[in-house]
Amino acid sequence: MKRPNFWRYLTVAAVMALAGLAILVQLVRIQSSPEVAGITGQGTYVWKTFYPPRGEIYDRHGNLLAGNKTVYEVGLDLTVKPDPQTVALAAQMAMGMDPAQTISRIENAAAGTQYIVLKDFVPPEQYDQLVKLQTAARSDPSGRNLDALHFKAHLMRSYPENDLASTVLGFVTEDNHGYLGVEEKYDNILAGIPVTELVPADPRRAIDYPSIPAGQTIVLTIDREIQASVEHILDNALATTGAVSGTIIVMDPRTGEILAMTSSPRMNLNNYQDVGQIFPGETPFDRAISEAYEPGSVVKILTMASALDSGVVKPDTVYLDNGIIYVGGVPIRDWDGGAWGYQDMTGCLANSLNVCLAWVSTQMGNASFYSYMQRFGLGHPTGIDLAGENPGRLKLPGDSDWYPVDLGTNAFGQGVAITPIQMMMAASALANDGKMVYPHVLYGQVQNGRQSNMTPQVVGTPISADTAHTITAMLANSLEQESSTALIPGYRIAGKTGTAQIPIQDGYDPTNVNVSFIGWGPADDPQFMVYVWLEKPQTNKAASVVAAPVFKQVIEKLVVLLNIPPDVVRLQNTGR
Amino acid sequence: MNNVTQIVQKVRQAHWRVQRQWIGLFLLGLVAVAMVAGIYLNVTVRATLAGREILLLQSSIADNQLKNSDLETQLASLSSIQSVQQRAQDQGFQPADPTDIVYVVVPGYSRRTVVDLSTPGNSASKVPALLPEYTESLFDWLTRQLTSSTPAGGQP
Repeated sequence: MKRPNFWRYLTVAAVMALAGLAILVQLVRIQSSPEVAGITGQGTYVWKTFYPPRGEIYDRHGNLLAGNKTVYEVGLDLTVKPDPQTVALAAQMAMGMDPAQTISRIENAAAGTQYIVLKDFVPPEQYDQLVKLQTAARSDPSGRNLDALHFKAHLMRSYPENDLASTVLGFVTEDNHGYLGVEEKYDNILAGIPVTELVPADPRRAIDYPSIPAGQTIVLTIDREIQASVEHILDNALATTGAVSGTIIVMDPRTGEILAMTSSPRMNLNNYQDVGQIFPGETPFDRAISEAYEPGSVVKILTMASALDSGVVKPDTVYLDNGIIYVGGVPIRDWDGGAWGYQDMTGCLANSLNVCLAWVSTQMGNASFYSYMQRFGLGHPTGIDLAGENPGRLKLPGDSDWYPVDLGTNAFGQGVAITPIQMMMAASALANDGKMVYPHVLYGQVQNGRQSNMTPQVVGTPISADTAHTITAMLANSLEQESSTALIPGYRIAGKTGTAQIPIQDGYDPTNVNVSFIGWGPADDPQFMVYVWLEKPQTNKAASVVAAPVFKQVIEKLVVLLNIPPDVVRLQNTGR
Repeated sequence: MNNVTQIVQKVRQAHWRVQRQWIGLFLLGLVAVAMVAGIYLNVTVRATLAGREILLLQSSIADNQLKNSDLETQLASLSSIQSVQQRAQDQGFQPADPTDIVYVVVPGYSRRTVVDLSTPGNSASKVPALLPEYTESLFDWLTRQLTSSTPAGGQP
């Protein structure tokens, strides 16, 4: 039997089946259509560079020395046909750009160029002004708007303390590369690693975006207050003595931590473009590590320590100073040309007698003397974690330019070139029970929210602890005997002046000298070591007159800022 | 009896009944396909929205990082050594020298120590950003549930 509605039912069923099929076909087509995939981004990837923010630099008490601030890249979308005149006018008003150049760049952009960068590293104030202009232009009845302007915010280095510790920090250029100082030495860990990756344009796959770790934050051993005080003292010293340049280093001789380090000139790191003007030619950025010089009599403490340690002399060994000694056939005289008669070794140091120290070195002999000097690290870089260290020069027997007289002159710091930081490292053995410490400015680094601190390193033990105590006592006694201008009441300090002639092409400069002072204290428990170097002072040429008072000013600040009570109070409190 | 059998055969073999069965089956299939398509569309939309939100949050994080850096640097500028010294001088303070200081013994006093910039509660950073429920398969989830429900050790 044939039902009358059969064809109707069949037609409806067919229509519904076709409709269902059409839906399925459309679903499949949408899923696999490249056109739709292009719209949704499904299956497509784009190259994207992720720049991690540069790590910050703090001083030892958490004060920010180097951070980051927001600046803007101002670009122009050429696909929307911007009006060059309007853009140029806005760029001139907000950023001071030359309108003719702006128009030329827009009109002469290569065919197919979609986007050009008008200016990068635009400060927030200029960016704000551009945004205001862009907003105002939208209501311009002529239709000449600034909608083609695009802004991209990013970070750039900023130094909130301006020139403080500038020679230690170094600087970062616009390409995010660190130069000099800490910024260069730790550029790898501060900058992080920019990563360029293919990332999915499909928002559903946003989870596939890489996680780029930020640059590591580092903590320096520098103490901001001490650093500022030392810089202030150095500036005053340069002004009052007429010295060409100067350097001051403050270090903890027990750990090698640099508490302050400065030299002249300094620069505002936010204006790093001026580096060429401030440091013309071969001017070193940080004299404390980069400029080797003949330091003069401060080296006598190393000579005497070596002689004591080797048993060649004792503190009470007496030497008859008749004013001249011949070493390698060359006469060596004292600084005043006089004869000082019988002197014990403390007297030799107190009166800074070249003849006596030359005699000491000849008693040691070449092998022993230069072995000790090498153990003190002379002629080798200290390895301090700052870029641009100079290794200095210690001529050795057998070198083509070494002469027998060098044994005598090296003993009192002439004919040997060392940097202030080398002298500090060598002298740390005298202040630290014979253990020579590695000088460093990195205290710790912060990664993944955890700070890991550096362990102080002993790089050698050139002399015994007994020798270190003996030489420290001798130096403290000599300062007290001469009532040195380096001393402050209540504190026993060990130290030594250094006045050195400056080598020139044909011998030594007859008119100028370098003056230095190295000292540490309190003598029985050294907590600080200070080095002062002034180059070519004009008011006076004696280190005891020029450099020692500067040293005194520094330690006056140090005992306050480091909370070191006078010896009497300290020894009472420690029950000694 | 024969009448009953004939009636049953006619009911079973009626064209309209067979057609209705086919149409019913077809509609059932269509509804099933529509349901799958609907669920798929719903999941896709939610995933897309979540992805957009992640991108927006990433952008927001980047913005906040910029703002944080700015504020940190501004704060450091305001509390720079020059600013602090100037403010102190303006308020009549002057730097202390050793003779100004009187030392007293304070039990329990400890010297100023070096800063530790470790983030407080740093262990929280070990928690993964995405819970495993969002990434694991049903089998993984079942395995984890079974593993985690296994007693770690005998309790008395």
